[in-house]
Amino acid sequence: MPDLEPLLRLIPHVLPFECMESGFMQRALLALLMLAPMTAAMGVQVVTFRMAFFSDAISHSAFAGVALGLITRLDPRWTMPFFGIVIAVSIIAVQRRSGLTTDAVIGVFLSMVVAFGLAIVSRDRNVSRDVQQFVYGDILTVTDAELVMLAVMFCVLMVFQALAYNRLLLVGINPALADVHGIKVAALQYAFAVMVALVVAFAVWAVGVLLVTAMLVVPATAARNLARSAGGMFWWAVAIGLTSACTGLIVSAQPAVGTATGATIILFACLWFLVSYGVVLARRAGRAA
Amino acid sequence: MRLDGVSILEDVTATVPRGSCTAIIGPNGAGKTTLLLAMLGHVHYKGTIALSGSLGRRCRIGYVPQKLNLDRGLPITVAEFLASAHQRKPLWFGISGSLSERAMQALRMVGGEALASKALGSLSGGELQRALLAFALLDQPELLVLDEPTAGMDVQGEAMFCSLLDHLRSRHGFTELMVSHDIAAVTHHATHVICLNRRLVAEGAPREVLSPDNLALAFGIHMGMVNPNALGDGQPSSTDLPDPSDPPCCAHCAPPTGDAPADA
Repeated sequence: MPDLEPLLRLIPHVLPFECMESGFMQRALLALLMLAPMTAAMGVQVVTFRMAFFSDAISHSAFAGVALGLITRLDPRWTMPFFGIVIAVSIIAVQRRSGLTTDAVIGVFLSMVVAFGLAIVSRDRNVSRDVQQFVYGDILTVTDAELVMLAVMFCVLMVFQALAYNRLLLVGINPALADVHGIKVAALQYAFAVMVALVVAFAVWAVGVLLVTAMLVVPATAARNLARSAGGMFWWAVAIGLTSACTGLIVSAQPAVGTATGATIILFACLWFLVSYGVVLARRAGRAA
Repeated sequence: MRLDGVSILEDVTATVPRGSCTAIIGPNGAGKTTLLLAMLGHVHYKGTIALSGSLGRRCRIGYVPQKLNLDRGLPITVAEFLASAHQRKPLWFGISGSLSERAMQALRMVGGEALASKALGSLSGGELQRALLAFALLDQPELLVLDEPTAGMDVQGEAMFCSLLDHLRSRHGFTELMVSHDIAAVTHHATHVICLNRRLVAEGAPREVLSPDNLALAFGIHMGMVNPNALGDGQPSSTDLPDPSDPPCCAHCAPPTGDAPADA
């Protein structure tokens, strides 16, 4: 296990807030500095492919995955991503093979995983208490081991993004056009679904099941409003994700505020969205004038 | 070829002559686009599609789809769209200089150099077709496949786009294969026609295929709109065109108006 202390000790020097003196806050910040770019980058494709509902289904499968782990006495940190991947791949497989619309397939799976999670939780009151942590998220309890896992995931996802960003964009625009250029459309769609499931599993720690889709969708949607190019949209999304995460963490830790970290992060991202919408309106007015 | 247990196309044997402008015509649901997608390897089929490239190499295909699954608010520029299939480096690191130059060259060929920095979602129907054509030309295709390239265009835009395609084909020597609903456009631009209605109805030179009998067989109605005098024998020439003093049989026979494309 690498020693993270030297890195953590640097944080109060960069962000000289009183709350940043605590080790748990430093770990939380480090986690968010990795998590926010991941969710923002994946969010760009989720928004481009109109897959917000898909990420919602995966986040709700995380709830069932945690419940499954608690009831089978397996570590929920493993059962949650595993269950998420199974659901994500199943949705893509059923959607590709059936004549059903994507919305209908996702709707069926969403209902299934929520019902499954509730059924398991309703059997055991202790499980019900433990599941609450995943419903609301708790980034402040992140451990060194989880930070290392997050760092590995960060590297994997950024390599995936670097290799697949252009191809995913083309698949989203026209799959047949991508086919002509030798892009393996089905393989890329499955790989994307697996990456979404993994990112959602990590993001559930930070903001909980209820708000995880917002962490993917809100920065990317604000970025879509502000950017003038596909490349610019990526950087805007990352910047919005990072600033919302850092500001949300620090503000939520202030005694006068004292709100849940995950919810505060999403509120700052929503503030970015409102600003971006104002920019859109101003641009429209400028064109009309 | 079957989809969800329903037969889409059966017993289709046809040839696309090298260097030709081959049009696939037929009514709605005839299987035209499905045949095109099979050629592109996008749908499964039983049978053989042989595409021979020059010098025994794999045939380079350029594809111009009928429409894009595009969120019109997506901030992707035409230059980025052109680069997306030809650059490994992610677009968030910008477009490489050489590819940027190639993209501009392709846009210049279709008279669309001003489109490079425009958002793909903000283009008009005609501009989008030019951007898609530039995208396809970037690969220096030996076979250019177009799905309803003039759908949604006005008469003038349609005539200009067809003239541009004719010019590019004669200049670059690629084979053109297009699906079209527009019998008048096919009459004037195609050198070879494949008529489908879930199976092959007829194949050959426009003069042979676009006969009232074949069209009635394919479309189920009399196609009186086709001027027999305008039908070519597979080699369009000035003599195939109607006399300018004759009243036009269709919009394509009307004298051209408006600006021609820059490179046309």
